[in-house]
Amino acid sequence: MISLRSKRNSEGSLAKKGERPSSHVRPGVLGLALSLPPLLLVGVFIGLPILIGLTFSLGFTAGPNRVISIIGQQIHKKSHWWGTLQAYSDVLHDSRFRGDLVLTIFVTVLSTTLVLLLALAIALYQRLIGGRKASVLVTLSIVPLFVPVVISAWAIHTFYGGDGFMRTFFSHFGINFPTLTSTPSAIVIGTVWTSLPFAILMISSGLQAIPDALIESAKDCGASSLRVIANILIPLAKTPIIIAGSFTSIGILGSFTIPLFLGPNQPTMLGVEISNFFGSYNRPQQSLVMAFIVFAIASGIAVMYVRSNVKSAKESGRL
Amino acid sequence: MLKKFKFGRIGINLFIGLLALFILGPIFWLAVHAFAVDWHYPDLYPSGVTLHWWSKVFLDSALSTAIRNSLIISPIVVILSMVICLPAAYAAGRMNYFGRKAFMIGVFSANSFPKIGLFAAIATLYYALNLMGTFLGVVIVQLLGTIIYMTWIPAAAFAAVPRNLEEAARDAGANKFTVFRTITLRMAMPGILVAIVMSFLASFDEAQGSYLVGAPAIYTMPTEMYSLVQNYPIQVAAVFSILLALPSVLLLGLARKHIMGGQLAEGFQLK
Amino acid sequence: MGLELKGLKKVLGGRVIIDDLNLRVEPGEMISLLGPSGCGKTTTLRMIAGFLTVDSGKILVSGKDVTDLGPEKRPSAMVFQNYALWPHMTVSKNVAYPLKIKGLSKESIAEKVEAALSLVNLLHHKDSRPGRISGGEQQRVALARALVQEPSILLLDEPLSNLDAKLREKVREDIRQLQRRLAITTVIVTHDQEEALSISDRVAVMNNGKIEQFSTPHDLYNAPATEYVATFIGSLNRFEGDLIDGLIQPGNYVIGVRPEDITISTESRAGSYSGVVELIIPRGHFYEVVVRREDATFRAFLNINVPLVGAQVFVSINKALRYFDGKLVA
Repeated sequence: MISLRSKRNSEGSLAKKGERPSSHVRPGVLGLALSLPPLLLVGVFIGLPILIGLTFSLGFTAGPNRVISIIGQQIHKKSHWWGTLQAYSDVLHDSRFRGDLVLTIFVTVLSTTLVLLLALAIALYQRLIGGRKASVLVTLSIVPLFVPVVISAWAIHTFYGGDGFMRTFFSHFGINFPTLTSTPSAIVIGTVWTSLPFAILMISSGLQAIPDALIESAKDCGASSLRVIANILIPLAKTPIIIAGSFTSIGILGSFTIPLFLGPNQPTMLGVEISNFFGSYNRPQQSLVMAFIVFAIASGIAVMYVRSNVKSAKESGRL
Repeated sequence: MLKKFKFGRIGINLFIGLLALFILGPIFWLAVHAFAVDWHYPDLYPSGVTLHWWSKVFLDSALSTAIRNSLIISPIVVILSMVICLPAAYAAGRMNYFGRKAFMIGVFSANSFPKIGLFAAIATLYYALNLMGTFLGVVIVQLLGTIIYMTWIPAAAFAAVPRNLEEAARDAGANKFTVFRTITLRMAMPGILVAIVMSFLASFDEAQGSYLVGAPAIYTMPTEMYSLVQNYPIQVAAVFSILLALPSVLLLGLARKHIMGGQLAEGFQLK
Repeated sequence: MGLELKGLKKVLGGRVIIDDLNLRVEPGEMISLLGPSGCGKTTTLRMIAGFLTVDSGKILVSGKDVTDLGPEKRPSAMVFQNYALWPHMTVSKNVAYPLKIKGLSKESIAEKVEAALSLVNLLHHKDSRPGRISGGEQQRVALARALVQEPSILLLDEPLSNLDAKLREKVREDIRQLQRRLAITTVIVTHDQEEALSISDRVAVMNNGKIEQFSTPHDLYNAPATEYVATFIGSLNRFEGDLIDGLIQPGNYVIGVRPEDITISTESRAGSYSGVVELIIPRGHFYEVVVRREDATFRAFLNINVPLVGAQVFVSINKALRYFDGKLVA
């Protein structure tokens, strides 16, 4: 079919791959309109609850917060026009919460560091040496992606538990391997296990994107492999490493299932405590306060991620 | 020189072995339990092999209801997610409009709020809207978890379609819709498939939210796991785990080429 | 001896890429490895640089055996085809990198970097990022980075292929002048014969992993040792048979005639062929004239008395090269 209309329309002329055409009025309006459905969904079911939850945490108990205020206990009602900080004060002074906060941050930092080190080691080995053994390592690291979190948690529980594989195996050598379940160590093991795939995918793809010539030219200048890693590879893969670090730490910060199955009862990770306070202890307001404190920390990490993304896009000339 | 080489070889083999133990160990250990007659500490293997636990799971009405719920709800969630998010993904990947970056970042940060806290906040809203313990309530909660996959990954896929291929098609006489169908959609398909797989799994494996808002009226497979591990013998939990992991393994196995080909990693770069 | 390759052999993916390659380059000499893609020239360069191991044979730089050394230990410096500048470092930092590794003092490094950058006229860009300077400038940075190492051997991988035509000529001259001044033994890899002929002291024409001829540009053009070299360098009219009394007769040879050795006249004479001018191709300062007969086509270069298309002309051969079994015979 031969079209008699002009060959290039106003919107798509000569744009290269990835380029966006300059903003006309119609694509702009169309773009906004198409984005509306998920925006509304996120707005109503995430944005709104967060806002309402925020007001509830500050002591607004009317309207949508009416039912929960009646059901829940130890609700602090607002004492000023902007609410009250009583609930926040309660939580921040709660020794239980403080213990949980310390544990949560400790586990998050430790696990994220271990995940990044492990993923870097494997990805660097794959980039610099490659071969079948590298592929085996990468494939192994991706396996946890295939397993739902609930099952991973349970499987790790049975593996490191009182009658799990580790204790069974070492008992045959007369060694009394410790029961790791219900300890922070098990939480670290579980979170590292589940976070590894995403970190490997991000960092490995970041390193693979660095052209061979950049590595070879460094060697030509006299650089050892260690120098190549420190001066060339890691700086150039900075963005994927930061992405992996952000996602991993945000995920671990708010995690629930892993610490529930693997961690101690007290102190526990804040994710579990939030659920405890909302359900078993019936103190929904304090539960939401904790959620917002975790969100504040997570947002700080997310801001770092976005800033790093923007900075790298600017440097490479994309922005 | 030879000594160093040998140590390097031993070192890497040891590392592979340890990693394999760390990653695969728990899975295999649990999987074997699904076929174990009886297994007591400190034996390294069970007293016998049986399929008895499998029939127990399928004949248990509570468990099979959970299986059925999962298999009905998740496909619905994925289809809804595609309808709601794909047009937005297309717009985010290809058009420049006011607030595009804010939209993408907004979706991303909505995902940063600790899920369990979010569900506590949602539960508050649900009480007001009378959605607690309802089918729709669970669908919405699972849908929320799929949004980030169904927007970011297809957006990157759409953005990566080379414009000059589309221009060539227009030049050859195809109209906008045909170009979209035969060129754009075709080339973005691997990314969309990865998004569908990740969304299905996000929905199918979703436990926390479904637990908070669905229980005790509606149990999906993952939420069933929470109580199952306390109330049933470990072998039943093992069988259930294998069943729950099956769709993951199948779908991700099929999409593995694309995931490891970078669609997942590409999707999370802000462009 | 600046560079010596002895009996090099390399097998890649089951195929023998290089077999028994021998080459001797004088100190301070600039030579080219010339050939089409797949002939093994890049493989050879990478073996000299150390990025590919040698299956058998030796590589000697200034008399020292470097065959078993990794690229970081070799006294060679390479300018990569796409320049391979590190985007996260400024121009100065790129050039300073090899000096940093050597552990020189900050002042010493700054001094040498400045010297290298002035050598290539890029001092004004010392704090720029590679992404923000032009292709030609990037190449000069890469060159500065190689020269700052004061290497025994300079290796250039297709240095001009990414530049546009006008820039190419200028850069060619600059490289040649620089090399003469510094007297560094240099090996260039290129597929462009004009480039190789114009700046090299000698050129090694390669084919299927072997060096067919290693000579000065003059000898390569006027006395190509093999039929392959004759066809690869410059243009050639090729006939099968034998040249007797200026006419092509049946024979067992391959006759090659350079276009400038063909005369075109409007008058017939002894030993000339008649034909019709089929095509005139303007080449700037001369014309390529294509004359066709049913049994042969002649290409000649003329810059005066150029006939018109369709004209009946007479072609005579003044000089020819005779090849038997691919090799040059008297």
